[in-house]
Amino acid sequence: MAQDIKSWANKFKSLSDSDPAIAAMGKYYTCTYMWDMTDKKVIIEMHDGKVKHINTDPAPLDPYDFALRASAASWREFGQPVPRPMFHGIWAASFREDLKIEGNHLIMMQNLRNFTLQFELLRKCGVPV
Amino acid sequence: MARHSPVTGRYVTIEVDGMEYKVFYLHNGKGQPLICQHTAGCHNHQWRGLLEDEEITKHYNVIAYDLPRHGKSDPPHNYEWWTEEYKLTKEHYVNFIVTLCDALELDDPIFMGSSFGGNVALQLALRRPDRFKAVIPVEAAHYAPGFFLDWWRHPHANAAQVCASGVWDLMAPQSPEMDRWLTWHYYTQGSEAFKGDLYFYSVDHDLREELRNIDGKKCPVVMMTGTYDYLTPPDATEDTARQIKYGVYIEMTDIGHFPMSENYPLFRVYLKEALRIIRERTGG
Repeated sequence: MAQDIKSWANKFKSLSDSDPAIAAMGKYYTCTYMWDMTDKKVIIEMHDGKVKHINTDPAPLDPYDFALRASAASWREFGQPVPRPMFHGIWAASFREDLKIEGNHLIMMQNLRNFTLQFELLRKCGVPV
Repeated sequence: MARHSPVTGRYVTIEVDGMEYKVFYLHNGKGQPLICQHTAGCHNHQWRGLLEDEEITKHYNVIAYDLPRHGKSDPPHNYEWWTEEYKLTKEHYVNFIVTLCDALELDDPIFMGSSFGGNVALQLALRRPDRFKAVIPVEAAHYAPGFFLDWWRHPHANAAQVCASGVWDLMAPQSPEMDRWLTWHYYTQGSEAFKGDLYFYSVDHDLREELRNIDGKKCPVVMMTGTYDYLTPPDATEDTARQIKYGVYIEMTDIGHFPMSENYPLFRVYLKEALRIIRERTGG
């Protein structure tokens, strides 16, 4: 059974804000992105390496810089402690599975190091779908 | 007491297609020459595990060079290279490797390369089977489109981090964290050359019509790919090996696109098998 989205958001924020590798280069990690898990969506707002806010019920016009969109089944694979091949990263899943990267790609590239580390935190906190 | 490694480094100056290159290489071992090419946008430290592997260096003279514009090998000293965009071509790449092997007087070397080094191994098997005892293309395929991207050197992003984190999930999650971060670190150092290397990898290298002309009897081809490689997935390498006369394919479980660098203890298991097959096919 999928975990409650608010509990998931708290767990994710706690993991991200205490991650030493993100903190080591957290300064200027400031952007807002959406994770579209088909059944649920979240908008995560980052400021200087810390999670400023997680919007767990985005309205149609709530803004973000870029989005990752994939089926709920793919997100469940991303959330495995050791994901299967081709579900083990943003690039892998966009090249070989159904992950779509949309919005302003440049902002994702500017923040790629820490965004990649945050994506991998899903292996620790799972996903809410 | 100083803890010196048995690995030593040297420079050799060679001329390739009119370009003068001062090439840096690391080497250790005795016996059969085994010359190793790093991946695109990287350098020879990717082979650090192999270079210090006592079991292999007892019988193999392991040489790992930095391709010009990478690591400690400068761009050409006799050419205004900064006035044009770097794009590595298959002809120049092959000519460089053969000239380097000649300069080092390597007798019947085995060539091993990973990723764009694996793809050039296929080019060597096609063009110069007379010069190499065998080739080991690692994480390679006869055609690998899709990675010649502007993002690798976009002036509005931190190119070092884009390259390093852009290749991060080419590695398997099971590979040791330290080795994945070392590989990440190497990738922060080569962003200016990465895109030009990938011109060869994704554009100029296309053996779809020529693969059948590689003869694995003249020059054995032992291909190896990791199951976590999304860029050259196992089925792509297997398909390539199947189309080469006497081609061999070895699938490497739970490892990615930089096997020698991200998890050498696991890679060496497969490498030893590849070397065994080559010994068997070449009589020593």
